[in-house]
Amino acid sequence: MPSVTSLHSGATPATATRPPVADGAAVQFAGVGKNFSGNWALKQVSFDVPQGQVVVLLGSSGSGKSTLLRHVDGFENPTTGQIWVHGQLVNGLKNTPLRKLRSQIGFIFQRFELVGPLSALENVLTGASARIRGPRLGAWTYPKALRNEAMEQLERVGLAQFAAQRTDTLSGGQLQRVAIARALMQHPSILLADEPVSSLDPESSHEVMTLIREIAARDGLTVLCSLHQVELALSWGDRIVGLRQGEVVLDTPTELVTKDQVLPLYQRPAPDAPDALTLPNTEFTFASPPPTPELVLGLSL
Amino acid sequence: MSGLDTKAAALVLAALLLLGVWGTWYFLADPALFRDGLANLQRFLIRVGSLSFPPLGKLIALTGMTLGIVVLGTLLAALLSVPVAWASAAVTAPNGWIRSAGRFLGVLSRAVPDVVLAMVFATIFALGAIPGILAFGLHSIGMISRLFADAIEQSEAGPRLAIRAAGGTKWQEFTSGILPQVFPSWVATVLHRADINLRGSIIMGYAGVAGLGLEMRNAFAIMDYSLGLGIAVVMLVLCVGMEVVSSTARHRLLGLGNARRRSARRANRPPYLMAASVTALIAASIWVCQIGWSDLAISWEYLEKTARSFWPPSTGSYGMSRFLGAMGVTVSVAISAVLVSLVGSLLLGSFAARNVAPNRGVRSISRLLLIVIRAIPELVLAIVLIVVFGLGAPAGVLALGVCGVGLLGKLIADSIEENPPGPEIAVSATGATRLQRYTAATLPGVRRAIIGHVFYLLDTNIRAATILGVVGGGGIGYYLLTASQGSRYGQVTLIVAMIVAVVMVVEALAMWVRKVLR
Repeated sequence: MPSVTSLHSGATPATATRPPVADGAAVQFAGVGKNFSGNWALKQVSFDVPQGQVVVLLGSSGSGKSTLLRHVDGFENPTTGQIWVHGQLVNGLKNTPLRKLRSQIGFIFQRFELVGPLSALENVLTGASARIRGPRLGAWTYPKALRNEAMEQLERVGLAQFAAQRTDTLSGGQLQRVAIARALMQHPSILLADEPVSSLDPESSHEVMTLIREIAARDGLTVLCSLHQVELALSWGDRIVGLRQGEVVLDTPTELVTKDQVLPLYQRPAPDAPDALTLPNTEFTFASPPPTPELVLGLSL
Repeated sequence: MSGLDTKAAALVLAALLLLGVWGTWYFLADPALFRDGLANLQRFLIRVGSLSFPPLGKLIALTGMTLGIVVLGTLLAALLSVPVAWASAAVTAPNGWIRSAGRFLGVLSRAVPDVVLAMVFATIFALGAIPGILAFGLHSIGMISRLFADAIEQSEAGPRLAIRAAGGTKWQEFTSGILPQVFPSWVATVLHRADINLRGSIIMGYAGVAGLGLEMRNAFAIMDYSLGLGIAVVMLVLCVGMEVVSSTARHRLLGLGNARRRSARRANRPPYLMAASVTALIAASIWVCQIGWSDLAISWEYLEKTARSFWPPSTGSYGMSRFLGAMGVTVSVAISAVLVSLVGSLLLGSFAARNVAPNRGVRSISRLLLIVIRAIPELVLAIVLIVVFGLGAPAGVLALGVCGVGLLGKLIADSIEENPPGPEIAVSATGATRLQRYTAATLPGVRRAIIGHVFYLLDTNIRAATILGVVGGGGIGYYLLTASQGSRYGQVTLIVAMIVAVVMVVEALAMWVRKVLR
């Protein structure tokens, strides 16, 4: 066993060639740890996400939510353990295989990350980069079929009338919806959302979260969404995974969790007793199909 | 309304692009040019044989004189720039009239090329160092006062207001509230200008100013290429050395978070050391330039006669159409050179940016190349290219175009690195290739910045193209040189007026386009 993995007992050897569980899991974390210059941002993270499940990652800032999401898309390489997406090992992927993986995964950012001087339509079109060859300059250089499809995606997020408008003139809620359309343009099977509504007002937040949920349900997308708003998390996903200082300390179906169970995620641990936290580490095994969509009908913000 | 402005600005850009493409085609798309050029280059290299230098003692004296002229001229300009900057900065100018006057002085001084000033001063004073010092001293006010004023306007208002609140006068506001804040940036500006003036000192030789430039000009005039190139190499070394010294000093001065801690005793003492070093520098410069009191003596009678001969402007035996045509060539050379630089800079500048370069090695090599190109004085390159390609615009376009990459490439690389990384990461996350990410996120993000940089380069190129004409790079500069050498000062006046007008038009155009396309 490599020395780095021996930091945590029971770490899966980095040489594993097959995912731990092969059936129905869209994303699998197996003993994932990440060390940033001496600090462990993630420690021994292990859980599976079945296809079509909507998972909320909950935790305070610095708990490792974003880092975990970045690992799924291959922006980070784990120090220990493995990440599997649809049975494919993500660790160490480069160039074409990595781009192929990324093309299946939509990523929604906290700060939208659209190209300001470009129109909404052109921003959406960049989502199709992996489906075409070579660089493009200007919306008119994309194939007509893609332009039509991009318009459909904008219609889907309710922004068709803003297609020609520069995105740096749009409001926050509109920007995030353009970003969602860009992700949909990839035809993803997985959607990662990193604090998608942290920069938005409550009304836009509600719109964006509802939109993501609707799209996920209709397209059967697997969603991993990090949030720090507890109220929102308790009424939104199928499952809550709570992170605290890089460790999974809570993993439970949304309908079984109470606010009191979640709040300790945000407490600062006493410096001399880092392990004093007692959380109900409820391990559930999620079998496909995921919990019924009725669970989310009580969406209240 | 703003939509109309944007359309007009886009039209201007398109027109300039067309002119640039046409000019580049017209000047450079001649296979014979490069075929003959290659043969000339061979002959040139054979003639150069090996580099030769002036005797060591003379070389040291010449180098000292060139450096002395640059130091004294730049310091003179810095001194004169303080009141101009005070008048033209919004927060210090007493009223709108004075502010406009200050800005006009700056623009005017920028518009008259230093070599023209040197030619004029050479007719008044004896040949030697004085015309060069005065030319640098007056011409540099334009840039220095502009950057001084920018620094004043960007300084924090708090300290100034606090002094006003404590009952201080306007004068005290300036010395205690503004000066301490802007001083590091002012020193950096002066160093930067000294760097530019050192490169410009070559051209001063063509106006008869003593130093390395004059020596190089004489060497090329008698076709002693090995000596000419030897002096060019000395100049190159000086420029690289100056660039290193001035950029290191600027980094330290402008770097954040390295505020020096000084003991209370030192803080209470006047800055003797600094005053002593500056005085010593000035004294040494005066000594190496061999300036005596007699040099300053001017015959007022002669001055009056000279001044009179500059008026009225005249076309001499040429006719106005000849001058206009030559001015057109100068402008086309400048625009074509911008296009050449832009192509090279987009390539080299992108690879010199951390977020575009495929790896560290490529970035370091590209950055190094940019520094090397920036260190080449365009006049030296132009003189060599004129030997290779013959007199005329092609040598000018190539010299300006190549040297422009040093500046534009660096500006583009810096802009790309300053571009927020988010959109690039987002496009990568869709599975895009590096090239797709570059065109989809990087280029659109820096488009406006690049347009701004291009106009900045055009602005400098117009002036540089005029000066290149003096050494034989085509355009109006040639007529300026012959008119001045033949003491036909009416023509000099007319040509200078034309140059000033063109520079001002281009500057206004650049300001307008940058404002509209912000």
